Amino acid sequence: MTVTPFPGVDGPSAVPVFDVEKVLASIDTMAAQKPVAAQIVSVANSDDTSAKALSRILASDVALAGRVMKLANSAYFGMRGRVTSLQFAVTVVGFTTVRTMATVALTDLDDESRLPDDFWDLTTCLALSASTLAPRFGERPQDALCLGLLAQMGAALLFHNDRDGYAEIMAAEPTFMGRRAAEVRRYGVNSLRLTAIALEQWGFPATMTTPLKHVDDYRAMEGALLRSSFELAARLTVEDYETTPIVRVSCGQLREDDVVPVLDTVRGDADELRRAMLGE
Amino acid sequence: MTAVSVHDDGHVPPEIVSSIFYSAQVSDVLSLLVAESFGRTQRVTWGNEGAVQMLGYGLDDLRAMPVEHLFPTLGNGELKLLLRRERAARMTLPVRAASGELIDTVVSTTPAPGGRMWTIRLLSTANEQERALRATADAHERRFSTLTERSPIPTLLSEQGMRLAHVNDAFCTLVGRRAEQLLGTGWIDAVHPDDLDAVIEQVSAALDGGEVETQARLVRDDGTVRTTVIRFAHLFTPGVGAGFVGTIEDITDRLAFEAQLAHQANHDPLTGLPNRTLLAEYVAGRFRPGAGGLACLFLDLDNFKVVNDSLGHAAGDELLAEVATRLRATVRPGDLVARFGGDEFVVVCERVDEDDAVALAERISVALARPMRLGGVDVRPYASVGVTVQTAEHVAAEELIRDCDIAMYQAKAGGKGRITVLDQQARAEARDKLRLVADLRDAIERRDITLLYQPIFSTADQRPVAVESLARWEHPERGPISPAVFVPLAEESGLIAGLGLLVLDETCRQLAEWDRLMGPAAPPRANVNVSALQLDDNLTGQVAAALERHDLAPSRISIEITESALMKDPAQAREILQQLRGLGVELAIDDFGTGYSSLAYLRHLPVDCLKVDRSFVAELAEGHVEIAATVIALARNLHLSTVAEGVETAAQAAALRELGATYLQGFSLAEPMTGGHTAAWFAAHGERTP
Repeated sequence: MTVTPFPGVDGPSAVPVFDVEKVLASIDTMAAQKPVAAQIVSVANSDDTSAKALSRILASDVALAGRVMKLANSAYFGMRGRVTSLQFAVTVVGFTTVRTMATVALTDLDDESRLPDDFWDLTTCLALSASTLAPRFGERPQDALCLGLLAQMGAALLFHNDRDGYAEIMAAEPTFMGRRAAEVRRYGVNSLRLTAIALEQWGFPATMTTPLKHVDDYRAMEGALLRSSFELAARLTVEDYETTPIVRVSCGQLREDDVVPVLDTVRGDADELRRAMLGE
Repeated sequence: MTAVSVHDDGHVPPEIVSSIFYSAQVSDVLSLLVAESFGRTQRVTWGNEGAVQMLGYGLDDLRAMPVEHLFPTLGNGELKLLLRRERAARMTLPVRAASGELIDTVVSTTPAPGGRMWTIRLLSTANEQERALRATADAHERRFSTLTERSPIPTLLSEQGMRLAHVNDAFCTLVGRRAEQLLGTGWIDAVHPDDLDAVIEQVSAALDGGEVETQARLVRDDGTVRTTVIRFAHLFTPGVGAGFVGTIEDITDRLAFEAQLAHQANHDPLTGLPNRTLLAEYVAGRFRPGAGGLACLFLDLDNFKVVNDSLGHAAGDELLAEVATRLRATVRPGDLVARFGGDEFVVVCERVDEDDAVALAERISVALARPMRLGGVDVRPYASVGVTVQTAEHVAAEELIRDCDIAMYQAKAGGKGRITVLDQQARAEARDKLRLVADLRDAIERRDITLLYQPIFSTADQRPVAVESLARWEHPERGPISPAVFVPLAEESGLIAGLGLLVLDETCRQLAEWDRLMGPAAPPRANVNVSALQLDDNLTGQVAAALERHDLAPSRISIEITESALMKDPAQAREILQQLRGLGVELAIDDFGTGYSSLAYLRHLPVDCLKVDRSFVAELAEGHVEIAATVIALARNLHLSTVAEGVETAAQAAALRELGATYLQGFSLAEPMTGGHTAAWFAAHGERTP
């Protein structure tokens, strides 16, 4: 399976041979290389998971365990260094977050050399915006944080597999929405749907995958939180960004006044979250 | 019947395959489709009963339908992610039914070996059971949120760590902030910085499964502080992790009330000044033995009783409140003014020497002496002030207060409105007196106070008719201590009740012993002295008890009470005398003529006898018979008997007999003797004239 010609590039020789199914298959390969992370991804959502069991598995991946500890003690959770055991760290950050961090490790999202420019700046802003705005949309902030952290996974996978092609899309399309349209043209699927498909594959709950599918439909309430978060993240990370009215992207849930304090919060916490996620 | 089983090589017998296929085909619980690749398109090639029912297509319509037609939301390239060649896939997708309706489903696909054919399983996420479950869950959620929303108890709900997912209106009101400001870690700003560590500590314990509570101050948006108790309970959500529910009790008002109660326990309600308890704590808290610089001023208002008695208690209270105000205004900042009791105040100063303390006492005296108008009268509240500055000799805080109390009494004794500094000699005297009081207490307890008995004679036949009990104290180191010393000492130090009981009981015991030894020759009656301080409602009961204990008739006892004791509270005295009279004991007024009794009043007292004071008897030798004669005549006219005390000579005895005195008592007639000697004396003299 190949070929969705990239617009403006002539001739099949300039188009990379690209099979999106291979992208998903590549995840399986990654999983085989990181068995601990893979195990956490598969057990963390089970109802009978306990912090004790999860921390026992987590303990065998020192790097990942270190990141969970760091996150648990970050300002985001407000525990001020009180978290000294891994089991308690798992309790504090929650199973979904541990699972999200394992997913990050599993898909090499922690290797910035393999990611598009500014990937984590965008991702942390997206995650914190989502988490901060979540109550306004009746969503759990913690799930929103995880969704924000993982939303860009599809983009990373596309970049892994088609570095030059994806870089060109990024250069050509300054807006996320335009970029996603270009992704569809080139790969047959946009990066958020790719994320959704991968997450469904791993059994992440529908509450985390549904918003990914509705981001570009301005009428869809399901995508409103993530859409609003993208808007805020763009305002924070994209130079000369032309804003879209927040009331429109949020299905009327937010006013511009609401956004100002959220931007401050996100700006304040972003660095620390990034460090915890990347284990810096 | 032969069981059909799977062969060892994993091959499934055709009977089983066809049985499973049949059940799948007819199942209306399971929705199954089979899709196949035809060139670049995938088409449905088969569907079971469940799929037909769910989607509403006829089986023929379903067959050959392109798969993407069923999943309209799948983008161009996405179908191949659903129908993958190497592995099963799962997506949550709406599936289009024949009616055009989109049914939410979880779509699971399994490729057959070869990668050209897939089994597709459709599981509606909107089936009845799930809907019911979700409805129940929603109802629970709504009930919970209604409960917490409307609850007047401030409530927090954490979803993760310190991060709040929910706060109710009551909590928002308590801290004066909006919910948005509090969610996440925003509420941490509302916790007093000094209490935050403890709160996080308890949150940790709650997340770990505990039920805990902590006292913490919450800072409102306007900066005011509320003190609360926060109770944390563990909250576990399966598959998510641990959070907590926090409920908050605002105890600010309760603490304020308790503080007010504590204040009331330590402060005088009239003046608002610290009371004696707080004064003791205050001085104890600042007292360092061997250090110096701590001074106490003890103030006692002169003539406060006069104000109280003449202008009324309200005026007295007004005076005390004004004195408190003046004291507070006069002392230095940091000095303590306390109300010690009644009209007594104490000022405590630190880092002063004697000159400073005296200067302050003078300033206070001047400030107090300014006239104030009370009930239309100008009153100048003069005070006697005792001053003590801490010396090396003070080993305990209470000594300091006691010393300034002593100094105040010295000031008062020296004339009112004075300031006295307690000097070494005065302190030594006071200590000495304290030791004597301690010794007296021991002496009473051990019955080391002995009684002597002095006979009383009838003038009619010169026979002894009674004795007077006289208390004696032989101090082991100081020798005999005069009753003129130890009786007032007992009165001052609260020992008089014990002493009085001892005298009463010992006298009765002695009478009973005389009776046993001497029969009718025993002294017929004993006179017992009673102090003014004993003159209360208990006295009659005590007398009766003593008589009963020793099996004596009440007429064997005569109670002697001084004229001045009777005049302290004449109404009460009269009532008690009547009680005693009712009991049957005789009553005598001691030292008659030295006080200022109203004769009219005397007439109404139920007494039997007047004792003519020894001073009037002594005057007889100088030819002054007037007073003794008058007293004796008065008694006779009131039908009372008389005892003349202090008869030293035969001439006096003769003169008194001449004047009509009923009884005589004195050294010349018989000295006070021990109980044993008295028995012998009565045995020898009972039948003879002296």
